[in-house]
Amino acid sequence: MDISTIILTLVWGVAIGCVYILLATGLNIIFGVMKLVNFAHGQLLMIGAYLTWTLTVTFGLNAYLAIVFTMPIVAVLGIAVERLTFRRILGTDKLNEIFISLGLIYIFENVALLIWGDRSKQIISPFNNMILDLSSISITYDRVVAVVVVVLALVAFGLLIKKTKIGLAMQATSQKDTAAQLMGVNIEKIYMITFALGAALAACAGGLYGIIFSFNYQIGAMPTIIGFAIIILGGLGSIKGAIVGGLLYGIAEQLATLFLGGIWGSAVAFALLIVVLIVRPKGIFGVKGE
Amino acid sequence: MQKKLLAIVVVLIIAVSAVAAWQLVPQTSAREIRIGLVAPISGQPLGQDMSRAAQLAVDEINAAGGIYVAAWGAYAPIKLISIDTVDDSPGNAVTPVKREVESGNVDLLIGGYGSAGTLANEVIAIDNKVPYIITGASNALVTRRGPQGNYGGLSSTDSQAITDADGMSYIFHYCTVTYDYGKTVVDFCNEVMKPMVAPDRDFRLAILYRNDAFGTGVEKATKYWIETENLPIMLIERAYDPKATTYQTDITAIADNNPDAVLIVDNPDKTPTIIKQGLNDVGLKTVYFAVENNQDPTFYSLLGSTGDKQMLEAKSDPFQNPSYLPAIQTYLMNFTEAYDVMPGVNGAVTYDAFFIAKDAIERAGTLDKAAVRDALEATNLPQSLLITKTGRIQFDTGINYHEINALTFMEQLTWNAPMDTLRAQIVWPATAPGISNFKQTDFVLPDNYVAGHP
Repeated sequence: MDISTIILTLVWGVAIGCVYILLATGLNIIFGVMKLVNFAHGQLLMIGAYLTWTLTVTFGLNAYLAIVFTMPIVAVLGIAVERLTFRRILGTDKLNEIFISLGLIYIFENVALLIWGDRSKQIISPFNNMILDLSSISITYDRVVAVVVVVLALVAFGLLIKKTKIGLAMQATSQKDTAAQLMGVNIEKIYMITFALGAALAACAGGLYGIIFSFNYQIGAMPTIIGFAIIILGGLGSIKGAIVGGLLYGIAEQLATLFLGGIWGSAVAFALLIVVLIVRPKGIFGVKGE
Repeated sequence: MQKKLLAIVVVLIIAVSAVAAWQLVPQTSAREIRIGLVAPISGQPLGQDMSRAAQLAVDEINAAGGIYVAAWGAYAPIKLISIDTVDDSPGNAVTPVKREVESGNVDLLIGGYGSAGTLANEVIAIDNKVPYIITGASNALVTRRGPQGNYGGLSSTDSQAITDADGMSYIFHYCTVTYDYGKTVVDFCNEVMKPMVAPDRDFRLAILYRNDAFGTGVEKATKYWIETENLPIMLIERAYDPKATTYQTDITAIADNNPDAVLIVDNPDKTPTIIKQGLNDVGLKTVYFAVENNQDPTFYSLLGSTGDKQMLEAKSDPFQNPSYLPAIQTYLMNFTEAYDVMPGVNGAVTYDAFFIAKDAIERAGTLDKAAVRDALEATNLPQSLLITKTGRIQFDTGINYHEINALTFMEQLTWNAPMDTLRAQIVWPATAPGISNFKQTDFVLPDNYVAGHP
């Protein structure tokens, strides 16, 4: 096995990790600010993929432009979900959150089945089948664009958190919601914005997922599990942790696939998660108490 | 009083006339014939195809009067009992079948999609002696796991082996089996591709397969035929987690072994992704074979122009128009008219199975399960949507127990740019029983094909 094969494997790891980073970041801010565990987050990714597909097929939009339109639509859907379901049980037993999110999984999947049918789909981008050939490494343009989109989305998200009043209010709410409330922060509004942002990031991840992979109404489950693994690995509530966790997960999975075979990829990645939790229970960048 | 008497007489006359008229009209129903469709209806796109095809067959049979049951002296309609196995995992595939079978709600079962789920739920039919025509699962163990099939090569004490010979006799396999998949691919590679790309060395065939009953079944069968026929083919093997979505690293590992062709064993929603990742991401410019369950609209639409000159195994092609078989054209027309979507191959085979069941019940003359089992075993019908090596539908009673010896063939895909669609043409074998001009074109290597090397 030559070095180019290993380099190529690392490239796949980064490319795969990127889409999951976006999903995990959304999950993480929702958990960080609202302390809410939403198992239906992957279904927002699925809806994002379908809406992007619909905009490209029905209106002939460029797939990447369609993602830009999809994000606010899914954000509004996220607001509706937050206001109609999670807001009503926030602060009550955690089991209530879990059962609501499990119920939402079934609702989203069946609505998607009714609207878009049972056949798998894939979003055709303007770069479909175009390959960037770098001597020993070839990679599709769509993968490169996906990495760029994820970096841009994370930079924009980072600026929003660090440089805007809303971002500061989100950070304050994340640290101590009652204190933030006493300082005049409308935490219900912050919860709504947080959920909308998380949903928009999931929609962006969904659009990119649908360009790279085929998808159907059932694709939400696995990315959610991986998303949770990534944020636990990186540290609950930490955006930096989600990025590092996503890359580590993707690279560990692909290296295990290369050296041990495809059936070991996920097993080794999740074993890494267990090892990290044993050595550092709060995750790599986690804050004590999360 | 007279009026009252007159009214009674009139009522009596009407009643007697009604009874007489009912006697004159051929009776259509003593009771319904309850056929259970075992399919992942809510959990797998291919299950929907099976469900639609089953409903189409039932509607056609019932519209023609139903099934004649001699013991009743009457025609009876079929009542379709949908048995939804959700995602068809062994955990979900058993309970729904158990519920319907043990409550006595089904006379016969048709369907069975995934091999793992079907191997689990057929045990219910075996234990309760209910005839079960399996139309989806391709693992040969489905009918060979009993004494008649020499336990499929397993020990009789193996957990998968069934020692109840009588129970096993209720299971019938109306579809291709993994041994057919393996044989078709290795024979095609040896007869057609090897002389073109590797005349002076062993042909290098890679197999990339799901690590489940379906994938390992095809892998074992492929290896079996290479060894049994002593073919000059070197097999490069690679398994992956069925839940995986990315395959570049596995394909990269395969590419390191310089294959002449790659056989992919997965379903229509995954196989196109694997081919695309192989050709575009990894840059492995070779011939990719998709196994026959990919004969589905999803496969064609997801693969798109990337599929140009790639290969698809087939047991039936419901998309050809004009077709190599008139029956397929009729099925395609009726299916699209009924559902406004294109049919897939699993549905086509399931559709056939209802007519096989009808024929068996009519010959048995009763719904007695042992009699229906005997009639199924004696089936001798002309081939329908699925073509066979003899041109007839007959269930084997030898070592290939209760299989129908399906003829699996090879199609090459061509991208039709003006029509913006992928089309398939038969390239191998040259002939098939009862079909003139079976082979439609010659196999050609893809434009950018790079042959493997040791």
